Order: sequence, then structure tokens, then C-alpha cells
Amino acid sequence: MNHTTRRTAILSGLAGLGGVAGAATLAGCTGSGTDGSGSIQPPAGLSGPSARARAFRGARQAGIVEHPQPYAAFVAFTLPAGTERDALRRLLTVWTDDIERLTSGRGTLTDLEGELAAVTARLTVTVGVGRRAVTVAGKTPPEWLAPLPAYAMDRLEARWGEADLILQICADSPTTVAHAQRRLITSVEPLADVRWVQRGFREPFEGPGLPMRNLFGQVDGTVQPTLDGADDEVLFVGEAGPQWLREGSAMVVRRIAMSMDTWDKVDRAGRENAIGRRLDTGGPVTGGGIDAPLDLTRTDDLGFTVVDQAAHVRRAHPVTPHERFLRRPYSYDDAPEGSAVSNSGLIFVAYCADPVRQFVPVQARLAELDLLNIWTVPIGSAVFAALPGARDGEILGQALLS
Amino acid sequence: MRFLVRACAPVAVLALAACSSGTSTPSPASPGGAAPLTLTDGWCKSTDSMPAMSKEMTGCFGTLVNTTGKELKISGGSTDAAMMVELHETVKNASGQMQMQPVPDGFTIPAGGSFALKPGANHVMLMKLKGDLKTGDKVTVTFDTSAGKGALTWEIRAFPGAEESYVPSPSNS
Ligand code: HEM
Ligand SMILES: [Cu+2]
Repeated sequence: MNHTTRRTAILSGLAGLGGVAGAATLAGCTGSGTDGSGSIQPPAGLSGPSARARAFRGARQAGIVEHPQPYAAFVAFTLPAGTERDALRRLLTVWTDDIERLTSGRGTLTDLEGELAAVTARLTVTVGVGRRAVTVAGKTPPEWLAPLPAYAMDRLEARWGEADLILQICADSPTTVAHAQRRLITSVEPLADVRWVQRGFREPFEGPGLPMRNLFGQVDGTVQPTLDGADDEVLFVGEAGPQWLREGSAMVVRRIAMSMDTWDKVDRAGRENAIGRRLDTGGPVTGGGIDAPLDLTRTDDLGFTVVDQAAHVRRAHPVTPHERFLRRPYSYDDAPEGSAVSNSGLIFVAYCADPVRQFVPVQARLAELDLLNIWTVPIGSAVFAALPGARDGEILGQALLS
Repeated sequence: MRFLVRACAPVAVLALAACSSGTSTPSPASPGGAAPLTLTDGWCKSTDSMPAMSKEMTGCFGTLVNTTGKELKISGGSTDAAMMVELHETVKNASGQMQMQPVPDGFTIPAGGSFALKPGANHVMLMKLKGDLKTGDKVTVTFDTSAGKGALTWEIRAFPGAEESYVPSPSNS
């Protein structure tokens, strides 16, 4: 379909997002940040320890349209019982200041290890609120800010469930992520309790010719809305949404376990059939490279469609033009539990303006029929509203709290 | 009261701020032009997560900047949030432990210079707090300086450190 296009490499993902200016400012203080190795190198300032993703201030939060950095932590919080609006205001005041400092390479106010903050590594921190936080703020939550419908294949564990707040912390350096996570947790310690932490990663060397692959080896994140503005109404809350969330986005976080043990038993043809895309190039099984359009109607000699009727991409493909969202997934590969030898999967993260309208129809189709369900099991699910950005003089959630 | 402001000193401070740090609250005591005493990255440790017995007092940190061309002395201060404001240093006591105590002669900031307030070192102490200092709020402290009174606003932040024990000066025990 012509509204979707492959997300291109790191460089084009960053270009035009204002990252150059931010990086240049910092580079003036700390050096250019390139390693001079002569290999594929983005222009000075776009990578390296002191690279900045983009200026923190703006109508929208960073961390959505930016190409996903390779390391991430998703930290969900609950507000203590009896939390009032003023406490939420104070919490978001602290986070706004902390995030502005961290993303510009400075420690938070209380930071005794500012050296770690100096490695910005394209850090972005994206703040989302859950249903209860909106109520605490005195606003009416949008209908979609609620648990997704229950699906037959779900094996949801309470420990990865809904929460009142979320931080999506992403950077090129896992140390940067860990430091930001630690500071952002301790800085609101009396105001919010950590509910869960999910840590994820992508290919650190992702770039031209080296796509994001999930732990099944599949090229993942290929078909996406465009990020140059044309699909803004798919991604960001507009006129139809609540005033306080304009330029914000809905954020669905599903933890999906991937059974490495049973996947190992499947041959490559079976694996490609399950998705409808080739493992090597990520291109459709109907032919062509990664950018080639999917041909859902082509049949083989026996009259069967080349893309299996139950293939993941067939089932996930939009049936109406609005059934689209941005997928920003991270793999997880945690220490095995019990007698298991692996504990792997995907932190499936989707951004869109209205998940009930855009996401749920797709998820419902996948729940009904999707070959991938043989090897994947959703074990966590939570929905948040990623706040609009903080403009000059504002805190995150300014409109929510006004 | 009027101050002699040497042109080069504030410029140097500004250039530094562009690279290294953020919020700077001017003191409104100045009659136009730069306030004699400003604060960069100032924060006080919140008390809302402290055990009740520790809530009596808290420390404030940041960088004090003397924007004047003259040495500036701070002798004390006051705030609506506490009964007393003290200027503290942290020293090793006879048994080798770090403890804080009031500095007898106050803080002295050289002309155009700055003065660091840090956990485990010099700091401002708010004593006999009248209520909780809540994480995410602000508190204003007015200082008595050789250049007049100067009000500075501090952010209030949760902080697990700054737990040095306190030895009161004979004057306020
Ligand atoms: C562990 C779980 C999952 C894995 C391993 C997985 C993997 C993949 C792969 C390899 C592709 C093809 C390349 C691409 O376009 O990115 C794909 C496409 C897609 N997936 Fe998933 N996926 C998972 C879960 C989900 C979920 C939960 C949803 C939404 C409810 C979803 C929605 C989509 C969509 C919309 C596409 C693009 C379809 C199109 O071509 O139009 N996926 N997925
Ligand atoms: Cu003290």
C-alpha cells in the first residue's frame, strides 16, 4: 500500500529532526564524537558518545519518530495510594528538568556521577501516563487508555501489567540508559514506585545493509508509516483527541515471549512461510528486495497463495487505511527462569493516535489467525498516553495539569 | 546600595554557562543590572521521603556566583520554610567521622568568582523546618551579604545522600 514505506537507515531517520543543530552545539563544547575509523560513519555529531538525538524542547517528545537507538529500558511506575494532582505536577517537574539535563549531557541536579551523563549517546527519554494518572490530574482519560481486549493466546502475567506512568529510555550506550534509569527512578522516589522494568536491545551496528533483526532472525520493522510528516495523523493525537494530549501519542507496550526451543525445530522455508517474508533480505516471499510490495494475491502452480493465508504479514496488513501504527520493538534476552534455557522475546512497542481504532483491529486479526502464534506468547500488556512535548518554559504534562 | 560591576566578570560566567550548566536564579536585590549574588543549579534535599526524625533540617547545594568586582561575604540568611538558616562546612571529627558544623566566618566568594556547595562539603543548612520540603517544589532563601540582601530560589529534590551528622554551634544549642 502506498502510504507505507520502509524506514530507511539511521542517517535518514535522523535527518531533518533538528538533531544536527543540537549535536553541533554540544560538539562545540566536547568534541566531534566521530571515531575517524573510515568505516561507515554518519556526519560528525550524529553518532558517538556525545551525540544528541535532538533538542529536548518541542511540540512533541523525542523517542517516537527518531530511529530506535540500540539499547532501551522501559520503566513503569505506580503512584502511591492517595496521590493528588500537585504530587503529579511535582513529579513531572522533576522529570522534565532531569530529562532536559540528561539529554544535553549534564547530570541531574543531584547527580554525583555526572561523568556518566556526559555520554549522551543520542539519549531520548519519553514519558507516558496511564489511565489513573490522567484521573489524578483531573482530566478525562480517552477511551483507549485502558487494557486491550483479552485475546485467546494471551498468557498475561500481572508483573508486566498496566501502570500509572512509563519512561521509555533509549540510547546508543547501555551505560547511558542504566544511568538515566537510575537517576530518573531515584529523583521521584517519594512520588512513584517502580512497577516493572523491561530492558531491550536492537542491533547496535544497525545501518545501511544491516537491518534490525529480532531473535528469530527476521528483519523486523520494515513496513511502517512514513515519518516525514505525511503520516502524522496516524502517529500523533490531533483534533479528534483530548486537548491535553495534542501532539502526544498512544503507546502500547506488549511483552511477547518467543519460544526459541520450538522455533529451532522449524526449517527456513517454514520460517519464511510463517511471516511471508524472506529471512535473508527481508523481502516479500512473492519476490523482490526489502522495498518490494507484497503481492497477497499471487498463486503458485497448485493454486495456493504464495503468501500463506495465515502468514503474519498477511494478517497484520491493514485492511482499511487507518489500521496503521509505528512499531518500535526491542528484543529482550533475559536470564532464563526455572528449568528453561532461554528467556527471550520482543518488547513490542507501538505508537499511534488511537489504538482502539488503529491497533486493536490488527491485533484481533492476529489473535484469530497468525502462524507466528505457534511460537509467540504475549505475557505482558500495558497502554499509555505518551505526553506532548515540553515547549520552552513548560513541564511535560503542562496541558494535562492545567 | 550600589555595586561596581566589572564588565568582564559576568561575561565569563555566561560563556561557561552555555557549555556546562543550566538554571541560574538571579537575586532580585540588585538595583538593575546583574544581581550581585546568583545561584546556578541550586537544590535542597527534600524531606518528604525522610524518616520523621530526620525531617528537622536539610541541606542546600549548588554554585553561588559573585557577579560583582568585589569580594562578597555571606554571613547568614532566612527563609519562610525554616526557623533558621546556617552556613555549614563538613569536617572530620576526633573519631575520624565526617560531621557538619556552622562556619564561623560565613562564606567568602572572590570578586567575579564562584563558590561550590556540595554534599559532603560546604552547604547551606535549613534548620528547624516548619514543614515538609516536597520533592519538585521550590524554596526561596534570602541571604545577608556584604552587598546587601539577596534572595535565591532552590529546586527541591529527592536525594539519598547528605546524611552527615550535625554538631550544633554553641550559639544555637
Ligand atoms: C513476537 C512477536 C512478533 C514478531 C516476532 C513479529 C515479526 C514481524 C516481522 C518479521 C514482520 C515483517 C517485517 C516488517 O514489516 O516489519 C512483521 C510485520 C508486521 N507486524 Fe509483526 N511481529 C510480532 C508481533 C506483532 C504484533 C503484536 C503486531 C500488532 C498487533 C504486529 C504487527 C505487524 C505489522 C502491522 C506488520 C507489517 C505488516 C505489513 O506488511 O503491512 N506484529 N512482524
Ligand atoms: Cu549541614
